[in-house]
Amino acid sequence: MDATFSQLAMLGSSLVLIFGLILLWRRRVPAYINAFTGQSIALAGVAGATGYFGNEPELYWVAAFLLVLKGAVIPALLRRMGRRFGTERELDPYVNTATSLLMAGLLVLFGYAVMRPLVATSQLPTRASIPLAMGLILVSLFVIVTRKKALTQIVGFLMLENGIALLAILGTYGIPLIVELGVFLDALLGFLVMQVFVYRIQETFQTMDIGQLSRLRH
Amino acid sequence: MTAAFVMAAAQGLLALFLAPGVVGLIRWLKARLQNRRGAPAWQPYRELRKLFQKEIVVSRNASWLFHLAPFVVFASTLMVAVLVPVLAAPLPVDRIGDLLVVVYLLLLGTFFLALAGLDPGSAFGGMGASREVTVAALAEPTLALAIFALARGAGSTNLGEIAARTMADPLSAVSPGHLLAFAALFIVMLAETGRLPVDNPATHLELTMIHEAMILEYSGRYLALIEWASALKLLVFFVLLGNLFVPWGLATALTPGAVATAAGALALKLGVLAVAVAVLETRVAKLRLFRVPELLSASFVLALLAVTSSFLLR
Repeated sequence: MDATFSQLAMLGSSLVLIFGLILLWRRRVPAYINAFTGQSIALAGVAGATGYFGNEPELYWVAAFLLVLKGAVIPALLRRMGRRFGTERELDPYVNTATSLLMAGLLVLFGYAVMRPLVATSQLPTRASIPLAMGLILVSLFVIVTRKKALTQIVGFLMLENGIALLAILGTYGIPLIVELGVFLDALLGFLVMQVFVYRIQETFQTMDIGQLSRLRH
Repeated sequence: MTAAFVMAAAQGLLALFLAPGVVGLIRWLKARLQNRRGAPAWQPYRELRKLFQKEIVVSRNASWLFHLAPFVVFASTLMVAVLVPVLAAPLPVDRIGDLLVVVYLLLLGTFFLALAGLDPGSAFGGMGASREVTVAALAEPTLALAIFALARGAGSTNLGEIAARTMADPLSAVSPGHLLAFAALFIVMLAETGRLPVDNPATHLELTMIHEAMILEYSGRYLALIEWASALKLLVFFVLLGNLFVPWGLATALTPGAVATAAGALALKLGVLAVAVAVLETRVAKLRLFRVPELLSASFVLALLAVTSSFLLR
């Protein structure tokens, strides 16, 4: 039972992480949105499985919220933004694709190193997957730092959110539902604010390129 | 003991004679998918026979290396075919070479092919060789890492042992380490055998070709050997993908029944992989050459994750 759960959690977390890595490899906005949708669904799957094996019925609610909010609503909003400036691709990020992929590999290894003490002392069947969640958090931060287009950074931020949620689910079998709801609301509001920003940036500069913002200094 | 050695030799020969058929099958499937009638699956055998009868034309500038390379490429690939578990595992010949030997024998073939491409001094050969080395430099460590992830799980670098261990523990076949390593190895297979997102196997005349550019100067028997070796290399990768990750059907005892089952399972696995490659090649466009290293570094990261997760799960 525990072995199956451990395998499932590992499989789901690996999927969540791989969807995060797609952000570094693809260049088109629709691909980013699809990756985020897939990641959220995989995350909801992990939440559901943890709820079932860990006897935490509250996690079913979390899984349902994840599916609706991050699997449907936010991707739909992202798609609407994507239709407006979907033709802009992530052409010259600060770090090129091959290097970023290798960096991402190193970051995941770093995540393993950081989480080692926790994994060693934990008794949970999910402990082996915890470093993957840390890896996703680090990779998403890397995306936010190295990519220039506002939309890519937003998807990076949302994936960072997913990473934190995954860490919470794996590490503690979910935080209380009320806190979880607060986090969801926070993420949604943050996303909406960022959306407004993107529209303003687009209006002012006719592009989503964050690099253009340095022109404001002159 | 002798039976086991006969078995090893037999499976090497089987792989050798099956290889052109697999290439032909992929071509035929691709043709059908693209609404063409396509040549029959045994067309590559006819091509090989034709090439073996043709005379060899060698450039005046070519050195002895040019004559040596086809034999090295062919022999090293055949040796790999003997070492990988085609029908039965584990066999005593496994002791001759483990996964590191297999990886570096494959690299030896690539190395000599690249040298032979450079040797006659033609512009295309040099371009092809430099591209092939670029691809190989990224693909080879990925290949080693991907199989190493499996070896870590099985506690042995022996290919037959790895397959046997996965058979004994079916749950490990769906572990993330296995799945990630499978994805990484599949990408490496496409790159190393010159399949579509990396190289176009269907053309001789394209500026971005890799494999064909290297062997452009070859003709007659030499070309036949190289073509045969590259078909065999594809088969070896198929066998690695099929028998290391989904080892069921492999003969563990050398009885006629078990070997017959293994032959059936092998045919099934090769068929599934051939369909997968044909569908993929019909659906995707060739990557720009500058994006190939990105694809390969992605597969390297997958292999790296596979190794780390196999460490963690223990």
